[in-house]
Amino acid sequence: MAITRLKVNGKPVAVEADPSTPLLWVLRDHLGMTGTKFGCGIAQCGACTVHLNGDAVRSCQVPLATISGANVVTIEGLASHAGAAAKGPILQRLWAEMNVPQCGYCQAGMLMAASNLLKHKPKPSDADIDEAVSNICRCGTYDRIRAAIHKAADSAMKV
Amino acid sequence: MVSLRRFDRPHPNPSPEGEGLFELNRRDFVVSAAALGGGMVLAVSSAQAKVAAGAKSAVPWGPEVAAGNELTAWVAIGADDSVTIRVPTPESGNGAMTQIAMNVTEELGCAWRNVRVEFAAIQRDALENKVYTAGFLPFFSGHATDKGRMNRCLQVGASARERLKSAAAARWNVPVADVSAAESVLRHVASGRTLRYGDVALDAAKITLAAEPKLKDPATWNFIGKAAPPKLHIPQIANGTAVYGVDVQVPGMVYAALMQSPVQGGKLVSFDAAKVMKMAGVRAVVAVDPAKTAGTKLKNRTSFGIAETAAQHAVAVIADHFWQAKLALEALPVVWDAGAGAQWDDAGLAKGVAGVLDSAMRAGGGSKALKAGDVTLATGKRVVEREYATPYCDNAVMEPLNATALVKANSAEVWCPTQDMMQAFWVAIDECGLSPEQVKLHQTYMGGGFGRRTQAEEVRMVVAIARQYPNVPVKVIWTREEMFRQGRYRTPITTRYKAVLDDASGLPQAVSGTAAFTGTRPLFQLNQGYADVPYFTSGIIPHVDLRNTRLPVHILNGAYRGPCYNAHTFMAETFVDECAHEAGIDPLEYRLRLLTKWDAVWSDCLRLAGQKAGWGKALPKGEGLGIAITSWPTASMRNSSTVICAAVRVAVSPSGELQVKTIDVALDCGRMANKDAVLSAVEGGIIFGLNMTLNEGLTVKDGAIVEGNFDEAPMLRMADMPKLRVHFEAMTGQDRMDIVGESAVGPVGPAVGNAIFAATGKRVRTTPFRKADLSWG
Repeated sequence: MAITRLKVNGKPVAVEADPSTPLLWVLRDHLGMTGTKFGCGIAQCGACTVHLNGDAVRSCQVPLATISGANVVTIEGLASHAGAAAKGPILQRLWAEMNVPQCGYCQAGMLMAASNLLKHKPKPSDADIDEAVSNICRCGTYDRIRAAIHKAADSAMKV
Repeated sequence: MVSLRRFDRPHPNPSPEGEGLFELNRRDFVVSAAALGGGMVLAVSSAQAKVAAGAKSAVPWGPEVAAGNELTAWVAIGADDSVTIRVPTPESGNGAMTQIAMNVTEELGCAWRNVRVEFAAIQRDALENKVYTAGFLPFFSGHATDKGRMNRCLQVGASARERLKSAAAARWNVPVADVSAAESVLRHVASGRTLRYGDVALDAAKITLAAEPKLKDPATWNFIGKAAPPKLHIPQIANGTAVYGVDVQVPGMVYAALMQSPVQGGKLVSFDAAKVMKMAGVRAVVAVDPAKTAGTKLKNRTSFGIAETAAQHAVAVIADHFWQAKLALEALPVVWDAGAGAQWDDAGLAKGVAGVLDSAMRAGGGSKALKAGDVTLATGKRVVEREYATPYCDNAVMEPLNATALVKANSAEVWCPTQDMMQAFWVAIDECGLSPEQVKLHQTYMGGGFGRRTQAEEVRMVVAIARQYPNVPVKVIWTREEMFRQGRYRTPITTRYKAVLDDASGLPQAVSGTAAFTGTRPLFQLNQGYADVPYFTSGIIPHVDLRNTRLPVHILNGAYRGPCYNAHTFMAETFVDECAHEAGIDPLEYRLRLLTKWDAVWSDCLRLAGQKAGWGKALPKGEGLGIAITSWPTASMRNSSTVICAAVRVAVSPSGELQVKTIDVALDCGRMANKDAVLSAVEGGIIFGLNMTLNEGLTVKDGAIVEGNFDEAPMLRMADMPKLRVHFEAMTGQDRMDIVGESAVGPVGPAVGNAIFAATGKRVRTTPFRKADLSWG
């Protein structure tokens, strides 16, 4: 089986898996990094969102064969490897302070989408949030996610 | 650089006799999980092994054996002052786990920052004389504030506090009465000497109290009802280390992809394993036959029984990785015998329901749900006759059903996210035929429940599969498609209502109704929101005759957030609106008149929600306000349950495009233990109810559910959110802290429908509304 090399949260890794294996399952089953969640498998729900070469993608749709040499940042690396502009630590702190999650299963994907948005648009409008955070939350935490993103945008960079 | 191939050692050959291939205790597990989590290679992933504030360890479940520093099975206090509270309820997102910890903390008097939570090991309950369930129902939902359960937790805290005080008193050789306890500090008041809880925890563990301490007067509580802390495990959710069922990692674990009979109740005829055995990673193909359940002769101690959790016929592919198992299952030739269920489709179901309704409505037909007076005596000239219907819906939990099991000849171990540990424990025992002493069950965090994880069918399925691949841990993950097509669905209900309005008042003199349930499982054919509605029970309507009937269909009904209440409420609150329209009375005013013989809080909630929504103000063309009120779970009992009202403003474009603009909610649950937790549950329940009403409705073809994923079953997203405002001014402060998560699902749908009528003159009598033509231009 082929070996594919890539970087995950700043660390080089080599993965021996079928090239068709989606990044989602590479992370979860092969690398044991289970923070990235399986929700639908067809890029609808966004629970599997990670940053791939600096942009948010739904990792269930990214075959391993297409990401040789890529840089991947997952929820486990959000605080340390997503870049300061992504405001990962601030978002994570606000998520707790504002009691954002209910069951929490979709929230890794939400945080990866939200941090990617802040990186590209430091002061997003409601419409920007609607567009960039299109993930599904069955518990209905959307309003709190929106409020936390706005608050993070208004927060200083230092944590 | 290190190769991360997981299975770079030879695969062990499973053999039924082989014991001890993966002997595992909890300490090993934590270490192994850290290693598997990539700790050796990926710095970020080692976070999985870190103890973060709020949670006990990398895994959220507690030990099966008494740990050295525990005072009781419920509470362990470390030398570092950490207080670990073992919680027998699941955490489905409602904050029940944190609430249990709050309840214990109130009496224990420890600092909240020192509190950690983990799930109780339910096996201990079986082995240690009901240590978790005596006086405490361990199942799902927000019942952490139920009075009985709350008192049990308070007693746990009070008892531990008194033992700590006794230990400190002994240390100082002073009377216990002179020792105070607060914020994790024990203080000898006279001398000012102090000890921390952690200093005396080991001593306290050896102390037995002569008598249980009395609980504080709730009026003196300084934490419950005063503080509103966020859920304790959010930091782990936000950094990816919270362990959900699907995240469980056991050394040597393999994965299974599952396919159950596409027509529920069908049988597996054959499959051709040889076609897939050579595919990468594939280890085995196994069939699940319900007749092969080992069964238990022991009396189970579950809330709902396990009789209805029989496995469906199924086939599963076991492979090194889930992706491999999924690909192989898709390639596997399988032949099913669909059975009698294949006759049903949507048109046939509608015809069948009409048939049973016709029969039940003949004199003496159907079963009685509620009767008062004699409906034939009504004389009013205005008669309102309407029919309403709700479809199959899937709970659509975001974490697909899954579980992991390791079954050996004389033991079984299960890891799962379940809404009812006791249910899951006994289903596992029943499937493998072992005894409670031999079966361990570890609760994980849970990606949504909404009732779907209450019966533990997925636990039966994982044990049924792992039994056939013994001595190797097997994780079974249901795909989203398997989830939608193998649901335990919201019971479809069709109801025909008839009201005869009093000529003078316009209120009903008589209401008759016949509600038809589709399905065969009586456990999920309930009358909340129908036969317990105060309009019908309070005596304001002199003649009432409500009945039930059922169309037995093979598709399995189940527990769907606020079972049946969620459908009945839509129908009853739409019907009342239609009566108000027929009577020519404002729908809010009409409800007030119907509630004059009932608890004033219902009227208070109606007025408050209406006022906040701007009831009575002129609106632009195409906009409208609608209102609805309801209560769960015991609406017909005075001063009980959570009464909840929603007033909704919608805009409908001439071409029929619906926008829900605002939702104003007023409620009364008595008192609140944690206001933000209540608010969060109301927000979630309202959005759930909105999605249910606007979007959800599965279709049936050849006996199977058609829709397979979110592309075919749309869900509300961020961009669809209305402005949601929750108002607490109508709270009575009565002495109960009632559950809110189910109640909130009820009122929003009918309020939206009533608003659509106000905006367009079009009445929507079936859900989902997305399938209705709302155009009016």
